[in-house]
Amino acid sequence: MKVKMSTGDRIFTIVNYTLLILALMMVIYPLYIIVIASISDPYAVMRGEVLLWPKDISFIGYERLLKHKDIWIAYGNTILYTVVGTLLNLVLTLMTGYALSREFMGKKFFNLMFVFTMFFSGGLIPTFLQVKSYGLYNNPLVFIVMGAISVWNVIIARTFMKSSLPEELYEAAVMDGCSHVRYFMKIVLPLSKALMGVLVVYYAVAHWNDYMTGLIYISKRNYQPLQVVLKELLTSLQVTDTMSSMLNDVQDNELMMRVAESVKYCAIVISTVPILALYTSMQKFFVKGVMIGSVKG
Amino acid sequence: MKCKRKEKSKMTKRSGREWLIYIRKRLRNDWQIYLLLLPAVVYLIMFHYMPIYGVQIAFKNFLPVKGIIGSEWVGLEHFRNFFKSFYWKRLFANTLLLNLFSLLFSFPLPIILALMMNQVTQKKFKGFLQTTLCAPNFISVVVLAGMLYLFLSPTNGMINKLIEFCGGKPVFFLNEARWFRPVYILSGIWQGAGWGAILYTAALSGIDPQLYEAATMDGANKWHKIWYIDIPGILPIIITMLIMNTGNLLTSEFQKTLLLQTPGNIAASDTIGVYVYTAGLEGAQFSYTTAIGLMLNVINFVILIIVNKVAKSIDQSQGIW
Repeated sequence: MKVKMSTGDRIFTIVNYTLLILALMMVIYPLYIIVIASISDPYAVMRGEVLLWPKDISFIGYERLLKHKDIWIAYGNTILYTVVGTLLNLVLTLMTGYALSREFMGKKFFNLMFVFTMFFSGGLIPTFLQVKSYGLYNNPLVFIVMGAISVWNVIIARTFMKSSLPEELYEAAVMDGCSHVRYFMKIVLPLSKALMGVLVVYYAVAHWNDYMTGLIYISKRNYQPLQVVLKELLTSLQVTDTMSSMLNDVQDNELMMRVAESVKYCAIVISTVPILALYTSMQKFFVKGVMIGSVKG
Repeated sequence: MKCKRKEKSKMTKRSGREWLIYIRKRLRNDWQIYLLLLPAVVYLIMFHYMPIYGVQIAFKNFLPVKGIIGSEWVGLEHFRNFFKSFYWKRLFANTLLLNLFSLLFSFPLPIILALMMNQVTQKKFKGFLQTTLCAPNFISVVVLAGMLYLFLSPTNGMINKLIEFCGGKPVFFLNEARWFRPVYILSGIWQGAGWGAILYTAALSGIDPQLYEAATMDGANKWHKIWYIDIPGILPIIITMLIMNTGNLLTSEFQKTLLLQTPGNIAASDTIGVYVYTAGLEGAQFSYTTAIGLMLNVINFVILIIVNKVAKSIDQSQGIW
């Protein structure tokens, strides 16, 4: 039996939906406009005619961007750092999370050692000096080693393994003479696919979007990740050097400005599409993942 | 739980030799655990605890040639210099105000959003809402800044086109100090509100549906249910999040601020985080900026402990540890 809604509830529902759809539009529209601006004629964008649909379809921005060698080197770098880095993250986080989910001598000490780093850190400069002393300055390894483990994600992994794998399973395995490593490999890993999904997205996004590591630890152009090169392209009030080198064959100053704008839209699209695609394909894990992370302990 | 307590009482009665046997037995079972932990522990020591050890340069005059140990002690000189400088008040005020306004405006929104989404009954629409509202969270801070530069441009940015269309004068949002905080906070809300709501959505889904049924029987409308069931139900999480956020009042991220900083808005965008980065790394004033960073870290740590204590004194089950 369906309970009939009262007038008050009906008004409430209408207002609620209206506001939510408004919120939805506020999130989607800026992203949508970037996509349509990237494939429209730069002049139409400037005149403000590209508001709902692309106009005078033109790929001049993408063509220019293709010629921009720096950004493609950086793109390749970022893919490499993301893939290798995420793999290492995943292995280390699962190992550590498993270890901390078991009872063993000194567990309290190790727990404290991990959690303390979430609340207190040496800060930017001491970290920089240490990392430099390890020979990681201007060394692309820094993208993989720095942030090899996020304590927050270790806690997510630990909580997941504690709550979703029954203790009896472990006891039965131990009875049969199963060691920790074997139990971890043969039983824990196959049962932790949802966890892995969440961890992969968290870590991959962090690597892909990482701007700080390149900014602080790398000065060699060839090692720079995508975000650093993007920054030069995107956040300038004028046409920068990078830009003008890409556009120096364009004689008309006005046209150059327009194409520069168009290149920015295209750069945003090519740098953001992969990560949003990864997110949408994995999003079913998220509510669960965040919930695990929020459990105290 | 019971089992553990028994074990403990046994442990206290053990003699020295029995202890040794016990430890040996535990190690025989557990050495693999330590093996699994080893890489993480090495990582933490190298990248977290060594830098904490290196914090001592805040009290030294660090020279790269002399190293951390070899540099001479100068006591509190760097701290004194900071408070003697004319900009320390501005740095503190900018950092605190930015965080305070962020907390004030960004904190309630995810809660409201989660409560609203919880009222949506169509599963598909709910899922779509959640996926879409969370998407901006995955956009990098550089791209976000780039979008702001494009949309807020005084010559052909969309927002200014709109202002001109309505008969106003274009505003150079990114070059005016008074616009820095609104731009920073609003873009933060755009990016983070949906993601922040997930946590509360998860908490809301854990509320016993019988409560709603009973409330309907008693003639409660939707508004009543939100006010008397939903909000009390997620209050513990709200308080925990509030504690964590209050503990961050003086933390200073520098990436987004640095990206949005222009010569025009520096009066508002000059925060401690950015200062430590520019003076420390670009200006190579290692000891001086370490001192500033350390001070901030200690203050935050103390705030966190106090807030946590207060929350616990109100209700034992609250607090983050």
